[in-house]
Parts: sequence; structure tokens; C-alpha cells
Amino acid sequence: MKFFDIVKTANSNLLRNKVRSFLTILAIFIGSFTIILNSAINAGVNDFIDKQVASIGGDGFIEVMPGAAIEQMMAMSETGSKVTKYSEKSGSMLSATITNEDLEAMRAVDGVNKLEIFHILSPEWMRLDGEENKYNVTLQYLPTDTFNLDLSAGRMINNDTDDFEIIINEDWLEPFNFEKAEDAVDKTVEISIKKTAKCYVVPDDCLATVKAKIVGVQAPGVLSMDGDLLVSRALDNKLYALANEDIPEESLQNYFAVGDVDPDKIDEIREKFKEIGSGYQFLTVSDTVGMIRTFFDVILAVFNIFGAIALLAAAIGIINTLFMSVQERTREIGLDKALGMSRFKIFLSFSIEAISLGFWGSIFGMAVSMGIGYFVNNLVHGEDGLLADFPTFDLVRFSPEVVIPIVLLVMLIAFLSGTLPAIKAARKDPIDALRYE
Amino acid sequence: MNSAKVGVASKNIAATVPVIEVKNLSKVYGRKSTAFNALEDVNLKIYHGESVAIIGKSGSGKSTLMHLMALLDKPTSGSVKVFGINSTKLKGRRVNHLRNKYFGFVFQQFFMNSHDTVLENVLLPLKIAKTSRFKRKKIALSALEVVDLESKAKDKSINLSGGQKQRVCIARAIVNNPKVIFADEPTGNLDSGTGKKIVDLLFELNKKGTTLIIVTHDEDLAALCNRQIRIVDGKIVSDTRSKRTIKKEVR
Repeated sequence: MKFFDIVKTANSNLLRNKVRSFLTILAIFIGSFTIILNSAINAGVNDFIDKQVASIGGDGFIEVMPGAAIEQMMAMSETGSKVTKYSEKSGSMLSATITNEDLEAMRAVDGVNKLEIFHILSPEWMRLDGEENKYNVTLQYLPTDTFNLDLSAGRMINNDTDDFEIIINEDWLEPFNFEKAEDAVDKTVEISIKKTAKCYVVPDDCLATVKAKIVGVQAPGVLSMDGDLLVSRALDNKLYALANEDIPEESLQNYFAVGDVDPDKIDEIREKFKEIGSGYQFLTVSDTVGMIRTFFDVILAVFNIFGAIALLAAAIGIINTLFMSVQERTREIGLDKALGMSRFKIFLSFSIEAISLGFWGSIFGMAVSMGIGYFVNNLVHGEDGLLADFPTFDLVRFSPEVVIPIVLLVMLIAFLSGTLPAIKAARKDPIDALRYE
Repeated sequence: MNSAKVGVASKNIAATVPVIEVKNLSKVYGRKSTAFNALEDVNLKIYHGESVAIIGKSGSGKSTLMHLMALLDKPTSGSVKVFGINSTKLKGRRVNHLRNKYFGFVFQQFFMNSHDTVLENVLLPLKIAKTSRFKRKKIALSALEVVDLESKAKDKSINLSGGQKQRVCIARAIVNNPKVIFADEPTGNLDSGTGKKIVDLLFELNKKGTTLIIVTHDEDLAALCNRQIRIVDGKIVSDTRSKRTIKKEVR
């Protein structure tokens, strides 16, 4: 018998008992549907996390704090609002400052590409140059060359110049009356900041105003700066200097430094930082994001186990279906053998029947999970949707590299399940088979 | 490769090589205490163009003998030569090939795939033989013409009467242009009228040169053959020929 004829025969045998075949395919469908959808969600979520990680600095990004500051923060969060007995503190807030000396020592550690003091600035207000309406704003400086911000318009900040540059986010478009992100680029804003020391003396006249250019608009993202706007090094220095005018340097408190390090040397750098000054500690992106990733991985692993159990049940269904098919067709097998069909061809015929069950089950699983995936993506991107603000992110992401191996795996499982009945059919004695009632 | 060998052998059939030669054939079912001798030391030669009736009561071993000659079963001891080729030494694949190419089968219970069309049933041996789609359909239709059922080619075989079914089975048996047709109680499930039609068809094929081996307990059917082999308890008790065929026989 030609291969094509065997395939045709196998498929017409499946159609002969439509309900039984359908139910078996349904069982396979449930298993493959679960696994395919899961893998697609896994791909989507991981892709999203990867993009977000890149937008906040990538794997080499670190946030450095003096060890004492972390301890104090931990102690504060532990005691919370409870009234506690006085005990001598491990260090005053002053000791938690990053000194220039320590900063230089940390910069000198092998693998540290960049390390800079990080402040969060809270100016009085910001407004578009020439407009009346003032808005609250928080600003921060980040070493932009280690970042890969998702911009919807404009360019990154250039820290190599002395220009006052700022990147706003899309939330500012409406208050500033910009229709599109592009409209905001190259516009000028006015930022007003309190000169802290002067305000003790002349509270009515202690504001300083600086003009800055909007160079870009940041696209929304979950892990980005909580609404803080990014400013250039020069602008940050200027605003910081104005705010702290007349304050002695030893009274300045710097709790954070941010920087970029070689991701492969993170563990060594961590050890060396502990030895500098009173000890420094840092968080990397993977410290923060690793948790989220692990959480998703666990959930998806649980669902994959469900899928695998469903597939196991389906495999038993295939075995059962084929055993019934072999039994029903005993005489037919006897006739085929009497007329000269070889054992192998009979084995092949039943194996192809099993593989077809697996094929259709997984193809339907793929089709339905893609349909649901499309629907879910539309839903989360729609108005009020979970991901309405993240147009570039798909919760469910299908790619041939994910789906095709699963379809092939299911077909392999189906084939393996079919081997037992197929061998039984192939081994039948033609005389006994023909006598079967 | 094998077909070529057999082909050479089959050209010499008219000479001295028997179509089927059975030597010291025994078949034992079961083992030790439950052992049952279905056939004991049977020797037999069947020549080209003969029509042979194997007669015996049920359980006599006549079906076993036919199965062994048709290479559907393996003997416990002894040999079956087909066109001079010792089948016991052949691999399974070659035995399958021999059966497919040179034998045709007609069974008492018909054994048709009832969900298939008449045509599909008839062309099954050709499908197994890997004949091309177009060719096998053509050959199957001409085989149906022989049994006068070409009009039913597209009908589901389940809708046929018993006589029609057996005619389809004869069409299936001759579709590969076999050298030997084995018929196991071909009229057993039919009334006498339709049975006669089947018998006529079979003997017509025999006249055209196909060797016919009929297994039966029906004495009237056996009498139509030119050779009668009687089996009792696994042994041949008589082997008679009508005179007209003895003359033909080459020894």
C-alpha cells in the first residue's frame, strides 16, 4: 500500500466513528490548548519584563545606598507606627550619607562603569513657557546612556552638553494642550524651585526659576519612574545647587547613588562595596524584577502541570480509542493481511490514525488558544483595559518557535500512545482475525 | 526481485512444476497435553489448471490444509512449495507478496468492508500492491464486469444481497489476475439458486486457466471439480480424478 493510501485509510477510519474520534480529539485539545496558551502568555510576559528591564537600565543598573541607611529603613518599616523603647541607634542619618570619598572609592572598583549621586528634586511648580497654569512635578537625574527608554517622540537627554534638557511623559500632554507627543518636542518649560536656606529668612521671595527644553516624550511603562520626569545632568546640578544654596556641604545628605556596572561582576562588586566606608549595599534590576518573574514562572508552571495531566489523560484516551478500533476492525485486518498487506503497513496505518488524532487535537488547541489570545489582547488594550496604557505589549504572544514544537510534541505523544494498539494489530494472525466474531 | 523469480517459475508451469506442492505437512495446535493434530503428514501436488475440491467434515482439517497451502498459516513441520519455491524459507514480506500477486480468495463469510463502496472493496488487493490510482480503478471495473456488477461499483457494499456480495468477492479475488483461487465454502451462505451462479463463475475462471481450490463439505459442488481430495482426522483418505483430467496431467 502506498503511503498516501495508508494516510487516507487511517483518516477515513477516524471519520467512521465520528463521536469517538471527536471525544478523543477533544481530550487532546484541552491539554494542548492549556499548554499552548500558557507558553504564549509566558512568552508575552517575559518579553514585557525584558523590555521594561531595559527601560530602567538593563541588567547592569544598580541603586547604591549606605548599609546603615538600609538598616535604618528596615528598622523603620519593622517598628512601623508602634511606640518602641529607646535604644542607641546603629548610626545617625548623617552617617548614612554617601561621601565624596566613598563615591570615588566605589567608582574605582573593577567593573563599575559609572556611579553618580542620585537626587529626587521636588520643585515648587513647572509650567509651559508663556502659559499661566502651574503644575506639581518631581524630577530625577539618571545616567541616560545606560537606559533604553521607550520614547513616543523626540530623543534621549544628552548629558555631554551643559544644556538644560527634560523628558516629559505622556501624562503631561493633556495639561500642556499638546495633541500629539511630537508637538511637545523642542518646547520650553519653566521650573521653579525653593532656595531652602533663603526661605527661612524671606519666605515670600525665595523662588528661583530655570528654563529647560523638552527633548523627548516617554511612552508609558510599568517599571518606569512613578511619574518622575527625567532631567539632564546640567539641569539637575543647577536645580540642586539652587535648592541647597548657602547650605554647608557637610550638611548635604546623599542617600542614593545610581550607576552602571558589568552585569557579570555584580557579585564581586557587591562584596567590595561592603568594605568601602561604613559599608554600601545595592539593588539590581534583577533583584526587583526577579521576584515578578519567579511569581509568573510558578503560576505558569502550575498551569503547565494541568496541561500535562490533561495530555496524559488524552494519551490514555488515544490508547483506548485505538484498542477499540483494532478490535472492531479485527476481520478487516485479517483480510488485509490475507491479501498480502505487511505487518509494518498495518502498524503504520494505526500509528497514523493516532498521529492524526494528536494533530487535529493540537491544531484545534492552537487555533482556539490563538483566538482567545487575540481576544484577550484586544480586551486588555481596550479602554479601561488592564494594559490600555501599554500599546506595545501583548499579554499573549504567539510565535512559531513556541507553538510548532508543542504541536509536534503532542503528535509524538499521540504516536507513542498508538504504538501499543498498532503493534497488537500488526501481530494479529490473519486466520484468527478472519474468524473473529 | 522476488516477483521476477516467481515470474520465471510461473512461465514453466505448463511443464512439470506443480502450482502447489505439499510435502510431509503437519499442523499441531496447542502444546503437550492439549496438543491436537489438525494435519498429519499430508503429501499433495496440484497442477496448473486443475479444479480441486478438498472435502471433509468440520474439524477434519480441510480448512487448515487450505490455509497452509494459501500461506496464511505456518506448518508445524513439512513444506509448501509454490511454483517450486519453498515458502517456509521465505521471509514474511515475500510470503505477503506471493499471496498478493498469485492468490485470490473467496470466503464463505465474504469479508467485505461494509462501509466502503463495491469498487473500493474490489480494488483492495491492487491498493496493497501499490498499483496506481487510475490503473487500479480501471482493472477493478473490468473485474466487476466479469461478475456482471459494474453497475453497482459506487454502491455501499452493505446494501448488496448475499449473492451479489459473493460476486463482488470473486471480482476482488480475480482483480490481481491470480494463478490460484482459493474458495472456502463459497456457496455456504447462499441459497441454491444464487450458489449456482457463483459456482458457474468460478468454473468459468477455471476454464480460462486459473487453478481452483475449493474447500467444501458439499458433495454436489465437489463433484463438479475434476479432482476430489477427502480428508478425515487430518489425513488424506482418498484423492480421485475424473478421467478427462488425468489425460491432461503431465507427470
